[in-house]
Amino acid sequence: MSPGDDDDTPDSVVRVVARRLPGPSVVVAAALIVKGYAEVGDGFAAGVIVALAISLVYVALGAEAAESALPLLRHAPKLAVGGLLLALASGFFPLALGRPPVSHRPGPGEHVVKIGALELFTPLLFDIGVFLLVVGVLTILVHHLARPRGERTR
Amino acid sequence: MTVRSGGAAPPDDGETRAEPAADWQGWTACAAAAAGFVLCLLGWLAGGGGFSAPWAPSLNLRLSFTFDGLSALYGLLATGVGALVFAYGTRYLTLHLEHQRRSVVERWRFWPWMLLFAVSMVGLATAQDLVLVFVFFDLTAVCSYFLIGFDRADREARTSALMALLVTVIAAVAMLVAAVLLYARHGTFSIPELLAHNDSSTTTAVAGALLAVAALAKSAQVPLHFWLPRAMAAPTPVSAYLHSAAMVAAGVLVIGRVHPLLARTEAVLTGLLVVGATSVVVGGVLALRRDRLKQVLAYSTISQYGYVVMMYGIGGAAGNGAAAFYVLAHGVAKSALFMTAGAVTTATGEDRLSRLGGLGRRMPVLAVAAGAASATLAALPLTVGFFKDELFFTAALEHGPMTAALAVLAAVLTFAYIGRFWTALFLGPRRGEVVTSSGLLVTPVAILAVVAVIGGVVVEPFARLAEDAAGVSAGEQVALFPAYHLDARPENLMALAAWGLGGLLLALPRVTGRVSLAVAAAGERWGPRRAYEAALHGLDRLSSVLHDREVRDLRTSIAAVLVPAGVLIGLAFAATPTAGAYVVGPVAGVDWVILPLLGLVVVTTAVIARSRSRIAVALALSVVGFALAAQYALLGAPDVALVAVVVETMLTLVFVAALARMPDAHPVRDPAVPLRRRRRRDALAGAVAGLAVFVSVWGFLSQPAPDSVSAEHIRLTPDAHGGDVVTVIVADFRGLDTLVEITVLLAAVVGVATLIRRGRLW
Repeated sequence: MSPGDDDDTPDSVVRVVARRLPGPSVVVAAALIVKGYAEVGDGFAAGVIVALAISLVYVALGAEAAESALPLLRHAPKLAVGGLLLALASGFFPLALGRPPVSHRPGPGEHVVKIGALELFTPLLFDIGVFLLVVGVLTILVHHLARPRGERTR
Repeated sequence: MTVRSGGAAPPDDGETRAEPAADWQGWTACAAAAAGFVLCLLGWLAGGGGFSAPWAPSLNLRLSFTFDGLSALYGLLATGVGALVFAYGTRYLTLHLEHQRRSVVERWRFWPWMLLFAVSMVGLATAQDLVLVFVFFDLTAVCSYFLIGFDRADREARTSALMALLVTVIAAVAMLVAAVLLYARHGTFSIPELLAHNDSSTTTAVAGALLAVAALAKSAQVPLHFWLPRAMAAPTPVSAYLHSAAMVAAGVLVIGRVHPLLARTEAVLTGLLVVGATSVVVGGVLALRRDRLKQVLAYSTISQYGYVVMMYGIGGAAGNGAAAFYVLAHGVAKSALFMTAGAVTTATGEDRLSRLGGLGRRMPVLAVAAGAASATLAALPLTVGFFKDELFFTAALEHGPMTAALAVLAAVLTFAYIGRFWTALFLGPRRGEVVTSSGLLVTPVAILAVVAVIGGVVVEPFARLAEDAAGVSAGEQVALFPAYHLDARPENLMALAAWGLGGLLLALPRVTGRVSLAVAAAGERWGPRRAYEAALHGLDRLSSVLHDREVRDLRTSIAAVLVPAGVLIGLAFAATPTAGAYVVGPVAGVDWVILPLLGLVVVTTAVIARSRSRIAVALALSVVGFALAAQYALLGAPDVALVAVVVETMLTLVFVAALARMPDAHPVRDPAVPLRRRRRRDALAGAVAGLAVFVSVWGFLSQPAPDSVSAEHIRLTPDAHGGDVVTVIVADFRGLDTLVEITVLLAAVVGVATLIRRGRLW
């Protein structure tokens, strides 16, 4: 976990796997979210799975290399805040309609449009918000912990 | 209106330096207060009105406001005096900040609080619901805290602000208790409904006494008066407002609002009378010998509100009418006097009577205006103040000879200290140099003086306002007839006696000075302020002892949570019957897989407790987590198991990452506690906590709740268009909880970023 030291650099298999894993992990997460309401899994689990793949990149490549290999990572704070706002918005929009918070639409007994297993309703937005927040928060956490002490910013 | 002086000219650079930007925040507040004054006036002339909206229907709480006579009096006072004080403040604050070399941006730390002060006063005056009254009551205390502590670099200001907050807010809890008592008996917080119940039970008496305690602390009555003289650490506009129309007036306002409730019990009224009379005497005697301008006025406020409390204690139409009139006259005079003190201190840089004198010729307008205000307080004819004492004497005479004697004594003291204040300031040999002067610091005083004199000639509007206000407090129509009578009626004789004796006291400064100093010394030694300070220090020490114990190391802070919890559960265990509550069920089916997993957990836990290596502890902890996750899966909670597995993996990673940043050196042991004793203590704490959890979990599993909420969740899941109960609970049924939890998540990561990288998220 101490990046930069040549002695304990993991071997190339781990590096290659780590570098390739984030893509599939996002697919798994998407599957968990899509099937979330019908089967096991939800936005939180999906978020942690993606974050695990990202952490593996950090472990395998070291913080510096991981962040240059996945430049998208530096948007993690935006992801976290955006996810929280999305979840809060989907939770509190019913207030604008004069209903208690977290009353999801369509309501009980109403028709839900389905595309395969994907149900188009507001809990989906809620779940996506939680997912984005968890990915963002855990990435920020790993980013801070993975950097050696004394190093301020990039 | 600018007062030119013969003293030293302003420093030369003052001419060339750019004037600081106009205090538009202050003028906005002033305009808002003036608009509020016009609205209150129109509202009063239109006969009032109100509205009521549900707040918390399950508690029968309503946001109900009514603009009645009492609201009109205090509303007009708060907005009218407010507008003048705010106008004064625009100039005062600019000079004050300049003097202390602070940025004009600090106006933002002043004016919003002042405006909120005024708003909460009007809210308090119109609120008709006890809980609402409590909210506004405490809101004024919060405002005063920030305003008294405005000079936050000054330690004196900070402790004074805290003292004002603690004394008034802790006493205000009594009001909340009273509200709950009354609610428990009558099922309503609404003041008109409570007054309609004709009930003179013990509950009403206790509630009335509690309400009175809260109000008396707010109005700085003995023995809870000591916070007020300290509060003069505030900038002058704050003092002027706080003493005349806002904070201190809030106390007597509440008494006026709930007076019919208090009047059900004779003992409460007698208590008010005694406390009021004591405050009159203590405040008056102490004011006789104070040297700082604002301290004289602060003790005078204690004494003056003592009058009002006395009159509420007398009660009836006469008492309530006199009290309402008194508040009005006092508000006008006292704000003018505080602004006089501020203007003098700003002009000369001195704040002590002993270093000031002969200002009359140099600041003539201020001298005349302050003279009118002082005359109002001293109840001289041709000011509105004359009538306040006339009504006071009438009410006291009705009550009895003892009260009448006290009333004369009160008037004597007032005449003496306010006479000393004015003569020492404006007459006599020249002392103190007038360096700067500003018209804006004098105009508001002059306006208030004009109001006081107009009131002395045309008293009709003041009397009508007081009648309307007293009608609310007395619960009946009140008629007041203040007028000049040129005959030998008792009121006139009492007034003459008061002026004569007051003049005598004024002429004998040595005698009065010695008495006043003796009382002050006794108060320092045995007074309630010492009790307050001792209580504060005691609490502080207790908190430090607990805190030291708790944060000594990680083990003690965990034990500080687990051991009390374990002890509480142990007490509950000892207090409840246990026969049949604990059963050992059969072992069958999937249990045979769970039992070895639990065995694994036990073994790993033992490893954690014994291991010296940090990395081994981290890995063993993850073994515990995975074993528990496997159990979730076996017990039919695949959702929880999935989350447990991914979170456990993440946690292990974070642990290992965090351990990599730890120093290699072993932690230094606290030499104060020998290792063996510490081991024994840790084992004991662990045993207490573990046994408690074991007992409660066993008890719960022995008697599962027959009709749990989960069955309902499962039934409703299809309605929420879901198939997976856990997801639906998280996203829908308990969605609000989830929202709060994810917000906490972001807050936690901000905390981590603050600790590691000074708040940079990336």
